[in-house]
Amino acid sequence: MTPETAVITGVGLAVPGLDGAPDLLEPPSGGGGFDPATGLKGREMRHKDRASRLALRAAEPALRDAGLLSDDGAYAGSASATAVVVSTNYGNLDSVCDFADIIAEQTVTGLSPLGLPHTSSNVIAGWIAIRYGMRGPNVTVCNGPTSGTDALYWARNLIAVRRAEVAVVIGVEPDTEPVARLLSEASERTVLDGAAALVVESATHARARSARPLAALAEVARASDLRTAVAEVRKADAPPVGLWLTAEETPSDAAPDTGAVPSLDLTARLGHCSGALGVLQCAAGVAHLGRGGSGSVLTTSGGAPADDAAAALLLTGIGAAP
Amino acid sequence: MSWDITGIGAVAAIGQNPYDIFDSLCAGRSGLAELRAFDVDNYRARHAYEIDDRDGPGQDRPLRATGWLQTAVAQALADAGLDEQADAVPVLVGTTLREQRSAELWWRQKTQLAPSDLHFGTALRERFGTARTYTFANACAATLYALGMATDMIELGLADTVVVAGADSITESAYGVLDRVQNESPLALRPFDRARNGMLMGEGAVAVVVQRSGARPGGTHAVLRGVSMNCDASHPTAPDPVTIAAAVEDAYRRAHVRADDIDLVMLHGSGTQLNDAAEATALSRVFAGTGADPLLTAIKSMTGHTLGGSGLLSLVMAALALHRGVVPPVLGLENPIEEASGLRLVRGGAATAELSTAQVNAFGFGGINAVAVLEKGAS
Repeated sequence: MTPETAVITGVGLAVPGLDGAPDLLEPPSGGGGFDPATGLKGREMRHKDRASRLALRAAEPALRDAGLLSDDGAYAGSASATAVVVSTNYGNLDSVCDFADIIAEQTVTGLSPLGLPHTSSNVIAGWIAIRYGMRGPNVTVCNGPTSGTDALYWARNLIAVRRAEVAVVIGVEPDTEPVARLLSEASERTVLDGAAALVVESATHARARSARPLAALAEVARASDLRTAVAEVRKADAPPVGLWLTAEETPSDAAPDTGAVPSLDLTARLGHCSGALGVLQCAAGVAHLGRGGSGSVLTTSGGAPADDAAAALLLTGIGAAP
Repeated sequence: MSWDITGIGAVAAIGQNPYDIFDSLCAGRSGLAELRAFDVDNYRARHAYEIDDRDGPGQDRPLRATGWLQTAVAQALADAGLDEQADAVPVLVGTTLREQRSAELWWRQKTQLAPSDLHFGTALRERFGTARTYTFANACAATLYALGMATDMIELGLADTVVVAGADSITESAYGVLDRVQNESPLALRPFDRARNGMLMGEGAVAVVVQRSGARPGGTHAVLRGVSMNCDASHPTAPDPVTIAAAVEDAYRRAHVRADDIDLVMLHGSGTQLNDAAEATALSRVFAGTGADPLLTAIKSMTGHTLGGSGLLSLVMAALALHRGVVPPVLGLENPIEEASGLRLVRGGAATAELSTAQVNAFGFGGINAVAVLEKGAS
């Protein structure tokens, strides 16, 4: 079996103050951009937790960007061949803590039956599937700081073995009270309240529907440390790294090449991104390639002393794809 | 393509390893007990299938699921003859609730919680040296989903050996909302019985070593023939018999078997009105007119619903059932539901039969379904 190659055909964001992926590279000068205060309202948002609402808001522009939404907002791709892969670490932490409080204060009779789906961490991926009728594999990755990159690894595998032709990959973290408390015990940094979505697709499928690939998802790895992970995704025939998307506490000795590689730490501006980071980095990488940025794009996450592993991902421009 | 199951491990309310659990199932020994974890006055339901390892009634402690996971993985590695320092082996963990119980204890009782406690990678690295670890929160289909993704890794040449595991401990939030939505408070989990009145949670962990076919000389517990996965995309908590049937048929296609090749079905059988009706309807449709007449059982009647790990625990029990030619009964099944009238549910006591091929079902919230097909191994 020859594995299918995965390309990215759509990008969408729901990040406060940003309009789209290019804003990840340079902060927008004026105001505007996504505003959760108004953007998370509406009929289809009812009875959903904050993370699910953010994820729905990011999925829509990504699917539109990929040309996979019909005029009425319905999904235009193949229902049974479309996977959903969500990365989140804190998605339903607010529901878990809230329900425990209610039980202690009012017994279970105080709980709303509508909360049932939110006890399970895969609720976000479930709502995405329901909204768009996506009946392929439905996967939720909750894997710590590397989780967003790991979600892209699994999307790539699902496509490579032909379990799916299209995978909607979403990284999402809500800024809720328990998340703020948990992370403030560890550091002073603010917390992202947002989501990023990518449409990952088999190159064959994209070609068949004349879709415009934005980048190739060339390599993804998780390893014991950052140097090893980077070495695993750096292939001899890939163009030199033109942009390195790092994370907070990225060890400087993990640099991908000798000489200076331009690097960007999205968390410096967005705060802790946790499970959303790998997907946001990939969105920024696509924007870099989209405006003619040189070379390939390396993204790394994890690898700090408290992390269990590190992950790396290599994006290449379409001209450079095999 | 097929894959070898070369190591197994498990802990549950009814046993500290897979063989003890299987013996308990065949003897009809249940893990059902009065709820120990929480302040029972806050609940209407009063029962669960817990692992009894806390310091005392109402005294819960963090990271119990993590500890069971380490135990199950260690058992599986040893059983496969692999070194416990398994640095190069990917570990795929399926779970419904992760360490959300530890989060509740942190939030309510001020115990310690680090962000890294929520997923299992750190604990696996500490014990086994592994770095290619992935925690999937794929509800109650999680471990069969992970099993399918492990077979994909081997097929793609990304690994020759993969550990697939799962663990869950009961949480107040999940136990509580389930209690809130169930009309009655079940005294036991009674899959496929007309008098069933809901699900009760169980606790446990499970692990298997999956290897490229023939990678290890010697015996195998089972040969895995294929794993399907899909999603209803229709309702967050109510199952859909049409998509379930599609998952079953996709599993047969991947495994190159037909319905009448199936000798044994390990049902999801969660004891809820909706699940059991949808599952029995789906299987009755799949089997109709094919000549298929397998034995069927549902181990949640004795383990409780062990959530993310339940599918893989069913698979491990299926491997032992195929070997021994013995199928545990559905405990408490007296009057099968009408939808199951054409199905040979095992009841009253364990059944003996010549068995070679088994099907394992697992379904979860979010409408996700996974089905595995396995064959008797050569031990």
